[in-house]
Amino acid sequence: MKRPPIAAVALGLLAALASLIPIGYLLLRLFEGFEAALAELARARTLELLLNTIGLTVSVSLTALAIGAVQAWLTVRTNLPLAPVFAVLATLPLAIPSYVLALGYLSVFPSFSGFWAAWFTLSLATSPYVFLALSAALISSNFAAEEVARSLGKNRWQVIQSVTWPQVRPAAFASVLLVALYTLSEFGAIAILRFDTFTRAIYNAYRGSFDRTSAAALALVLVALTLVVIYFERRYRGDRWQAPTAAGRKRRIDLGRARILAAFGLGIIGLFGAGVPLVSLIGWSVNQTGFDLLRLGELVASSLAVAIAAGVVIGIFALAISVWNLRYSSRLSGAVDLTAWAAHALPAVVVALALVYFGANLVPGIYQSIWLLLLGYLILFLPNALGLVGTPIALVPRSIEEVARSQGLSKNAALTKVVLPIALPGILAGVALASLTVLKELPATLLLRPNELDTLATELWQATEVLAYSQAAPYALALIIIAGVPALALNAQARKLISEVS
Amino acid sequence: MKLRGALALTLLPILLLSGCSAEDNALLVYSGRSEALLGPLVEKFEQESGLDVEVRYAGSAELAAQLLEEGENSPADVFLAQDAGALGAAAKAGLLTGIPDEIYSLVPSGYSAADQSWVGVSGRARVLVYDPGKVSELPVSIFDLEDASWQGRIGIAPTNASFQAFVTAMRILHGDARTLAWLEAMKVNAVIYEKNGAILEAVEAGQLDAGLINHYYWYARAKDVGQAQMNSRLAQFQAADAGNLVNVAGVGILNSTDAAEQFVSFLLSETGQQYFAQETREYPLVEGISPADELTPLADIPTPAIDLSDLDTLAETLELIRQAGLI
Repeated sequence: MKRPPIAAVALGLLAALASLIPIGYLLLRLFEGFEAALAELARARTLELLLNTIGLTVSVSLTALAIGAVQAWLTVRTNLPLAPVFAVLATLPLAIPSYVLALGYLSVFPSFSGFWAAWFTLSLATSPYVFLALSAALISSNFAAEEVARSLGKNRWQVIQSVTWPQVRPAAFASVLLVALYTLSEFGAIAILRFDTFTRAIYNAYRGSFDRTSAAALALVLVALTLVVIYFERRYRGDRWQAPTAAGRKRRIDLGRARILAAFGLGIIGLFGAGVPLVSLIGWSVNQTGFDLLRLGELVASSLAVAIAAGVVIGIFALAISVWNLRYSSRLSGAVDLTAWAAHALPAVVVALALVYFGANLVPGIYQSIWLLLLGYLILFLPNALGLVGTPIALVPRSIEEVARSQGLSKNAALTKVVLPIALPGILAGVALASLTVLKELPATLLLRPNELDTLATELWQATEVLAYSQAAPYALALIIIAGVPALALNAQARKLISEVS
Repeated sequence: MKLRGALALTLLPILLLSGCSAEDNALLVYSGRSEALLGPLVEKFEQESGLDVEVRYAGSAELAAQLLEEGENSPADVFLAQDAGALGAAAKAGLLTGIPDEIYSLVPSGYSAADQSWVGVSGRARVLVYDPGKVSELPVSIFDLEDASWQGRIGIAPTNASFQAFVTAMRILHGDARTLAWLEAMKVNAVIYEKNGAILEAVEAGQLDAGLINHYYWYARAKDVGQAQMNSRLAQFQAADAGNLVNVAGVGILNSTDAAEQFVSFLLSETGQQYFAQETREYPLVEGISPADELTPLADIPTPAIDLSDLDTLAETLELIRQAGLI
């Protein structure tokens, strides 16, 4: 058994310990009032919340999978007109915070609320996760096998089912896991659209009655749900890593006349996911008078500094865990990976309050400093980076590393000089996705930020608190534009691969 | 090496950010009131007193939750909250050290905590906002809204702290059973909103006939667009109706220092009180300072006889609101 690099193990264990902070905190709160917590869970309302939450999570996951899969297949594998444009459109919702998406719709359609509204908004907001993962997977999948199946008389749909799907299933499952956990933990859009889930009940328990025990009980149910979702993902995703097949000629499928129809369909999805919210935001800012550009500049700078710092920190930890768990896999590394995921469905407010408790009472030196905020982002968003960072690291053939070792390179040198450069695009993609998510994050930022550190998201919150859409709009637009940069960087990779295919 | 350059580049923002951390001797205020509102007043205080003030802005409830988690080790000196409930939660946890007599006595009893743990700063009245084109006969009592004729016409914000305080007042005045019946009628009749402001927007836009909000949302909007431009009107219910509750935003001290007391005194000074009266159209609470001209004087609001410190049974109120299926 090869020994993993010390640094990877140390960072991995540190990340796992960090992720255990919120869970430990919840257990502490639970045992403070065990009876009250049991009473909370035994209420008929808890069952209703459970059904609502599961219903929304399952429907959003399936819809996001369908949207993302169709977008990925059409842009990567067919002769769709303007494929790069549609690839950008498919990624764009990633730059829009889901609460802005919800507000955008609500301001156009005042009665937009309830289950269908939440389903619609979250499906659009999360489908880019599926699109990004699936377009990458489709490009590296085996085209030749599909040609063979076609020549054996299978129709297009049968080929997708029996040949294409099994190849991209691991990527699809990994991204749907992100979508499901995103939906479980989502608060902003859910609150604006007034649909009751566990997360909303947890927020109400904190806000309304300062009842930390029932909040903890409900949050632990979310952790349990997360573990169930992860179990199913691991059980059914199939073989995680397959050797990339350098399959012969990569030919695009001719859609014939249907290509116009397909373009039209993708255009409609793009319109819903990015067009409507952007137009309504611009509509808000039309009424804008006397806007402070200097202030906006400051906010952009502080948001960028926080997001980049957090993205890099998260990227380093994701890299360590991926190297450890994928190249030196052991029971312990698997446990570390699982722990990093376990807290991912917790609403940000729970993680943030756990860190408030932890910081103020145990490590006052870093309380209300940038360090505790970064720790919060690490716990919240490490899983977002893990998938993207992990895939390319797993795909670097062991033989290359072994050749490097045989040339006299040390284990660590073989990693840094051979494996990492090959995996670099994936690592950067992980950093980009993490930074993007940090930019949009609000509840934890509010609770953990250093005093008087304002970001675009907190300023946007201040403005929407009083429902001053017109004041909120410039910040929302700035946020979307900045978040658009990493979103486009993520997309550029996919598009580059698309052009390689054609 | 490239990797090192990249690392250095990313460490730079962290260092810059950690450099901007707190001055240790500054007065730290947790504010549930927005920066746009409180910021200028804090600046004025810094100029007048020569003290350094640092403010942490977030929602009142989030800050209360934060204070509860911080416990004894909280770095905060002063807690300024939008509503009595958040202050009550901090007081109940034993975090507030109490307001000195000479400050506490500035505000008439009834607008502060009875046990002197916090003091009221500004008042807000519950009102009915309505579209005169669509509501010809105003409800006399809050219970008139139970009538089937109001179905789909009245907006409420059940997750809003002000609405919950009003329901608590109703429980005190009429008992839990009667309150639950009213809430259940609201489940049938009312259109649910997340915030007061959204209700006002909907009535102004002609999408909703009437709603239950706080008075200053209407006056703040009237100040922006001109009172003549307002489509909606305000009304009170009959005398002593729970629907006329006057609630307060208030302040408590966590770390009783001279600076903290100076800050609280400043909020209750002529300057501080006038500021809230003019900027937010709330009611000043210190005697002898009058509200903005267009407002009904506070003494003329037919408010129910309720001790605000009795509004701390929020958990039971939430229980009823949940039972009725409104949250």
